[in-house]
Amino acid sequence: MAEEIGKKRIPVLPGLIHEAVGPGERPYLIGGKCKTCGKICFPKAYVCSVCMTADSMEEVPLSTRGFIDTFTVIHVAPLGFKAPYVQAFINLPEGVRIFSLITGCDPLHNDLEDGSEVELVIEKIREDEKGNDLIGYKFRPVEK
Amino acid sequence: MREVVVLGVGMHPFGRHPDKGLADLAHVACWKALKDANVPAKDVQVAYLANSIGGLITGQEGIRAQTVLGPNGFGGIPMVNVENACASASTAFRGVWLEIASGLYDVGLAIGVEKMHLDDRSRTISALISISQIELSKLGMQFAGEAAMRCKRYMRRYGGTKEDLALVAVKNSYNGSLNPYAFHRKPYTLEEVLNSPLIADPLHLFMTSSIADGAAAAILCARDAVKRYETKRPVIVAGCALMSGRFREADPLDTDVESTITLTAKEAYRQAGMEPKDIDVAEVHDAMSPIELVSTEDLGFCGKGEAIRYLKEGRTKITGDIPINTSGGLCSRGHPVGATGIAQIAEIVWQLRGEAGDRQVKDALVGMCEDSGGVLVNGDNAAFTNVILKR
Repeated sequence: MAEEIGKKRIPVLPGLIHEAVGPGERPYLIGGKCKTCGKICFPKAYVCSVCMTADSMEEVPLSTRGFIDTFTVIHVAPLGFKAPYVQAFINLPEGVRIFSLITGCDPLHNDLEDGSEVELVIEKIREDEKGNDLIGYKFRPVEK
Repeated sequence: MREVVVLGVGMHPFGRHPDKGLADLAHVACWKALKDANVPAKDVQVAYLANSIGGLITGQEGIRAQTVLGPNGFGGIPMVNVENACASASTAFRGVWLEIASGLYDVGLAIGVEKMHLDDRSRTISALISISQIELSKLGMQFAGEAAMRCKRYMRRYGGTKEDLALVAVKNSYNGSLNPYAFHRKPYTLEEVLNSPLIADPLHLFMTSSIADGAAAAILCARDAVKRYETKRPVIVAGCALMSGRFREADPLDTDVESTITLTAKEAYRQAGMEPKDIDVAEVHDAMSPIELVSTEDLGFCGKGEAIRYLKEGRTKITGDIPINTSGGLCSRGHPVGATGIAQIAEIVWQLRGEAGDRQVKDALVGMCEDSGGVLVNGDNAAFTNVILKR
């Protein structure tokens, strides 16, 4: 994608995404794994919310594919977003539920279902006031 | 802990009040509550003021209690600024309850006030969205959509149709038509609800709470200090619980995990020494009206998956055996976020005193107010309160 001159790519929030840097590398979401009880969370946390053991968390890459738990079509958008769009909770194989917008489908004529398989994409969420691209994550349907 | 009572309540009608600021709205609610309690303003020893988005809306950060209550004559007493999403006002109420129950003070004021109607509506919407965890709002979470997904999970597990969900708004809009403090006084038919604009499937506009300006206040007093005043029948605070949301493993609508609403209610029931069957009337937090169904079950008023049947049988109507949201709830009364919790308390106080007019529930002895607000990254709410009041 050609980038406009002077336009920056800024993470919408720090610490959520590992962007692909080298060739052959794929981006992933950064989760936290508890070395004591095995619970995985997103976003990463300092302390595990299940066992609350001290100094037990490590960063882990999360699966880039998951399944839609529930979704809805938004017809009235918040500032900076354009309706209609699809928002969903995604279940990852690690047992983590993640909020995400769904891209790569027509919101009003989608064939999404609870349980549809989706994959991670890193893309522009919206622009900030200065016209910079705020980069975050979304999920899109996996080609059947 | 000493027993604490509510001596008086007062509200500024919820609605669109473009000419009024926070202090104007608070003035009406505060002084109505004082007159209702028949307590001189000078006797108020401590005040908690709740407000949720006034910093972003008015630019006044940090000291809204002092700056709103100051022009209303109060100063030189302990004041606390409370912010706790949709549970802000009920959290302020709990703060004053603790101050008095602890024995530190005898008389206190709890007030919630919110100003939401501005020339620039997008500022209000942005402020509201900021009550969701930033990992959600920055990525495009629309809060009605979160409730919409909860409704869909409910229907997936227990069945029910969009029409069933809309019936909650039909019931509550009728109740709201009887409430002089409500923003929207028009009772809606099922067709009107379903024909109102779609916000986030399956939620239509008339199933969502509306932006409103308003204030609600309560005067609390130690039971053993009530004799100083010539008052109406005091209403006793039997239970008052506060809880934070959890980064839990699974959603209660998919599993048999206890919801945080249930956890909070259990604490209030424990304090009161009561069970769900003891509650005669309840105000529940229906920021999106079908969520009332989930709450009705989570509070123990009926079994899991039974709320739609209860609704259709009329059991949650004003004339039913467990009337819910006799005030009209958040969709009809309006939802000035930081004032809603005490508006619920005012409704229950009126019900228990027999002052609810056309909305009066027969022989109501015990009432409950439930609030839940803010959205955490996993979809749980952030702040929960549950207040049980008895005659």
